[in-house]
Amino acid sequence: MGNAIETHGLTRRFDGRVAVEDLNVAIPEGTVFGFLGPNGAGKTTTVRLLAALIAPSAGDAIVAGHRLGADDDALRRSVGILTESPGLYERLSARQNLTYFARLYDLTTGRAAKQVERYLRMLELWDRRDDPVGTFSKGMRQKLAIARALLHEPPVLFLDEPTAGLDPEAARTVRDFVALLRREGRTIFLTTHNLPEADELCDTIAVFQRHLVRVGTPTELRSGLFGAGTVVRIVGDARPFVAVAHALPFVRDAGADGERLSLRIDDPEARNPELIEALMGAGARIRYVEPIRHSLEDVYLRLVGQGGK
Amino acid sequence: MSKALVVFQKEWLELRLQRGLLLATLGVPPAITVFAIVVFALAGHAPGDVVTRGIPLPPDLIGLSSNEIAQAIVGKQFSVIFFLLPVFIPSVIASYAIVGEKRDRTLEPLLATPIRTSQLLVGKSLSALVPTVVLTLACALLFVAGIALWAVTPRVAGVVITPGWVAVLAVDMPLLALIGIALIVIVSSRVNDPRTAQQVSAVLIVPVLGLLFGQLSGVLVLNLPFALLGALVLGFFAFVALRLATDLFGREAILTRWR
Repeated sequence: MGNAIETHGLTRRFDGRVAVEDLNVAIPEGTVFGFLGPNGAGKTTTVRLLAALIAPSAGDAIVAGHRLGADDDALRRSVGILTESPGLYERLSARQNLTYFARLYDLTTGRAAKQVERYLRMLELWDRRDDPVGTFSKGMRQKLAIARALLHEPPVLFLDEPTAGLDPEAARTVRDFVALLRREGRTIFLTTHNLPEADELCDTIAVFQRHLVRVGTPTELRSGLFGAGTVVRIVGDARPFVAVAHALPFVRDAGADGERLSLRIDDPEARNPELIEALMGAGARIRYVEPIRHSLEDVYLRLVGQGGK
Repeated sequence: MSKALVVFQKEWLELRLQRGLLLATLGVPPAITVFAIVVFALAGHAPGDVVTRGIPLPPDLIGLSSNEIAQAIVGKQFSVIFFLLPVFIPSVIASYAIVGEKRDRTLEPLLATPIRTSQLLVGKSLSALVPTVVLTLACALLFVAGIALWAVTPRVAGVVITPGWVAVLAVDMPLLALIGIALIVIVSSRVNDPRTAQQVSAVLIVPVLGLLFGQLSGVLVLNLPFALLGALVLGFFAFVALRLATDLFGREAILTRWR
């Protein structure tokens, strides 16, 4: 499996101000790549660079097999983009909006009609196909904008905040659709502020603040920042067992809070039986054992709080 | 070129759906034309020699009766409106074509498609040019019919509707409209308010007014050589203006600086 997107030192400055600095990523085909960062971090600029909407100040990128700046028309044919704002023609109907873009993407009249119908049906907009988009809800507009990005069947999709401002039901529909697109083998570059969404959808996550702060799978990011660990719930006070845990050579840190004994361990899966045996040997009555789980929000806040250091 | 036609079709579709704008833009020229015909018809019944007293006559009016002169002067004055209409009709359509896309945030997905700047701008310009030319010619035909019908004598009709006027209308009017549209497109890609873009086309009124006064004073004679010379000059400016519009249409600046 090759890379759908590769960037090499991709940089963009605006009047001397750096928006994107020395971005180096390789995104394998058929994966969902989450691009997280605070407002103004340069996420939208990165999407615009990779979709050949703006040119880099330095560095280069290969997207869907096309080098930036070499044949941008071919690159644009190979990518679909959901922009920050849906940007639809409000007086035109859903079908007219999509047909216009299908023809701009060089689809023949017949194929354009088929693709428009296919995506309007898939996104449950077929019944409203001839209504002006101005009468649509925000969720319907967002779905229509996603359909527009898919008409020409691009292998690479850029989704900029696809669920921003949507009600939970509409957001769920969009997320399910993104998951479906992934199963179809498309590569998805997803920018979002919705961290549970990124956790759910993304194979790889990059935290970005003008430059790449950290990149990895959600699990790698968690363990890289917080280490692995185990929580043991004990009947009664857990404090007497802190010393027992500290005495074990593989326990790097231990703390107690009521019934909860939290332990940082190098390799929990291998060491947990030994740990439990030691605790029970010391008289502990164990209710249950679970891994320490940090949310992606913890990871994000830690990384962004470091200011990219 | 096919993508320019796709853009043109979409623009025309959107225009048709904006009934108010359509009426305001395309309804006024016929109304002005009807007004011109009515005033022309009434001028043929002006009393005495009020019109000619103390005024040096252009050569083509010498030998006409008082009523004929009155009608001919009114007719010649109104005949110039068909060179003003192509400046005004497209200004609203063309200015909204770019600024409207910026305002409605539709430009980014549009620029993300494999469309070249020239294709986009040709499509946008055609959407303003075609209705302008068609409507101006239709109104001119109505005017010609009115002149033919209500001229007090055939000599008056011959003075107002000359082969030179027809030639200027057929050859120079579309070019004048094209220059106006190109100027609006240039300004539209740099401003956020369509009204600012509309104002720029007003500069083209100056040469048209020159045409009016030159014709009335007899300094300018609208004939075939004038039409062809005008076509050369206007064609040059239209080419330069369109080229400038394409070169100055900064995709990046529009996306990154406009909020």
